[in-house]
Amino acid sequence: MFNYILRRLLTLPVVILGVTLLIFLMMQLLSPYQLLASYIRSPEELKNKDPDTLIKIYGLDRPAGERYIKWLKNIVKGDLGWSNSANMSVVDAIKARFPATLELALYAVIPVVFGGILLGSFAAMHHNQIGDHITRIFSIIGWSLPSFVGGLFILMVFYGVLGWFPPGRLSTWAYQIVYSDQFTSYTGMYTIDALLNGNLKVFWDAIRHLIGPVLTLSYLWWAFIMRITRSSMLDILNKDYVRTGRSKGLPESVVIKKYIRKNALIPVITVGGLMILGLLGGVVIVETVFDFKGIGLLTATAAQQLDYAAVLGTTMFYCFLLVIVNLVVDILYAVIDPRVRLE
Amino acid sequence: MLLKKLIKNPISLFGLILLIGFIFVAIFAPQIAPPNNPDQKYLIPRYGWGSTPKPPSSEHPFGLTEGQYDIFYGLVWGTRSAFWVGLVVVGVSCSLGVLIGSIAGYFGGLFDNILMRIVDIFMSFPFLIAAVVVTTILGPGLNKVMLTMICFYWMDYARLIRGSILAIKEEEYILAAKASGVKDWLIIIRHVLPNTIFPVLVQASMNIGSVVITAAGLSFLGVGAPVGYADWGQMISMGRNWLLGTPENHLAYWYTIVYPGLAIVLFVLAWNLIGDAFRDVLDPKMQS
Repeated sequence: MFNYILRRLLTLPVVILGVTLLIFLMMQLLSPYQLLASYIRSPEELKNKDPDTLIKIYGLDRPAGERYIKWLKNIVKGDLGWSNSANMSVVDAIKARFPATLELALYAVIPVVFGGILLGSFAAMHHNQIGDHITRIFSIIGWSLPSFVGGLFILMVFYGVLGWFPPGRLSTWAYQIVYSDQFTSYTGMYTIDALLNGNLKVFWDAIRHLIGPVLTLSYLWWAFIMRITRSSMLDILNKDYVRTGRSKGLPESVVIKKYIRKNALIPVITVGGLMILGLLGGVVIVETVFDFKGIGLLTATAAQQLDYAAVLGTTMFYCFLLVIVNLVVDILYAVIDPRVRLE
Repeated sequence: MLLKKLIKNPISLFGLILLIGFIFVAIFAPQIAPPNNPDQKYLIPRYGWGSTPKPPSSEHPFGLTEGQYDIFYGLVWGTRSAFWVGLVVVGVSCSLGVLIGSIAGYFGGLFDNILMRIVDIFMSFPFLIAAVVVTTILGPGLNKVMLTMICFYWMDYARLIRGSILAIKEEEYILAAKASGVKDWLIIIRHVLPNTIFPVLVQASMNIGSVVITAAGLSFLGVGAPVGYADWGQMISMGRNWLLGTPENHLAYWYTIVYPGLAIVLFVLAWNLIGDAFRDVLDPKMQS
């Protein structure tokens, strides 16, 4: 076990270095003039100097190897450049926007993991019965509905027609409360902050704004986790040890919980990692649809305005997040499945 | 036999009919929606210069979206774009993945280790994010979107084929071929690939839908196909500003979103239904 984790940790620096190298290679497709934009913090800096001298000052005319080292040093120091679209440094923009995305992701992931596994095992237990067919159709439709189409439909019906779930993060009156002196910001996640401040009206308003994006972000994963749980449980239902368990007279609930569900969880963990990967991409679209001011919207706006520093900076952030998630998934894998440790 | 099973199941039959319908529309696009200018078939014709969409009429059966672009024309020619993007991206990235994966799996050792670390690095990019980054840098356009997607889509196939090759590498028939001195590349083509390629093909058929969704998503974000190009995602992004209708009628401009949205959903649904049925038919575990 320890050996396995150690070996897994050793690959971490290689992957992280590879990721930075790949991003740096992408940057090489940009001209020095385009790269310069991420160093200029205000128009005044451009007043007395022409771009060519600025390129010299920032060393953008140096050989690629030298620039890569310098760029890496800046990243280690926590400097990802200046974002023109957010009008602040990329690191500050990420810090300001991350709680919103985290809040969205938490509300999306937790119900999916538990609900999806339950529904999936339900479908497997009733293999080829009506319930199985219904979950199958439901999941294929969920899998076929792109989040920007689903999100726009939700917005059209539940905001446009019914007025229930508005876009944005909070209503204007709630923003006024949140930014007032009486309201302390602990986490930046409005639902949690509102509860800690004991303000139920703000809490309810934040929930109302979350329902649309959370639904849009997660319906696809409901479908996916359900299908994976179903097929891996079907696979295990026919195993010899399950038959042995039944034939020696164990109660059905023990067979399901201990023999079947635990083994069926292994592929689900893999999918859990995939889900985080999908969510990271998904937030870009969902936050754009619902005008939800998190990191995803930051990336999307930056991409539309050709703000390279913010696009590359947020990408770096997503990648690091993902590398860590993958590590956790692999370790979880080893904890649950002894065969992995021995490999 | 495969076709027989596809037809027998009502769900997959529905998928098959949908797909045949889309193929029909794509082939006969010039007859269904004749282009005004044969040199620019993929540019949606405009009927006027105002921005407010116009509801369906006998002349424009699905209405005109923002900027007076004809929705029906865009949907018909957008079918061709969707097939083009889906088939090319999946075809090229699948071949690339199979090539890299089978080399890594068959030869193993240091080679395998290096290739798999490269896979790890590419897999550390959320797919959509990678596509956003590269299209931001390269500039908009459908061809650039496709190039980007190929660059970040081959890893799944490489992993899949590598895994199955590792599983069969020690089988007697492979060892026998090796012992009798057959060249490595011949073993891979004649013996290894025919025994490992099926899961990859199933995966590929299921991926066409998600490739089309991602391409449309990029267009929706404004970094994919240019405005006015016959592309479903781009048409949805044009309708987005009219989502809430007018104060009197909240659904006044429904056709700008619903028609292109339905086109994408049905297209992806068709591929997913067929891919799902494929998997059940080809996977012996599901037969019992």
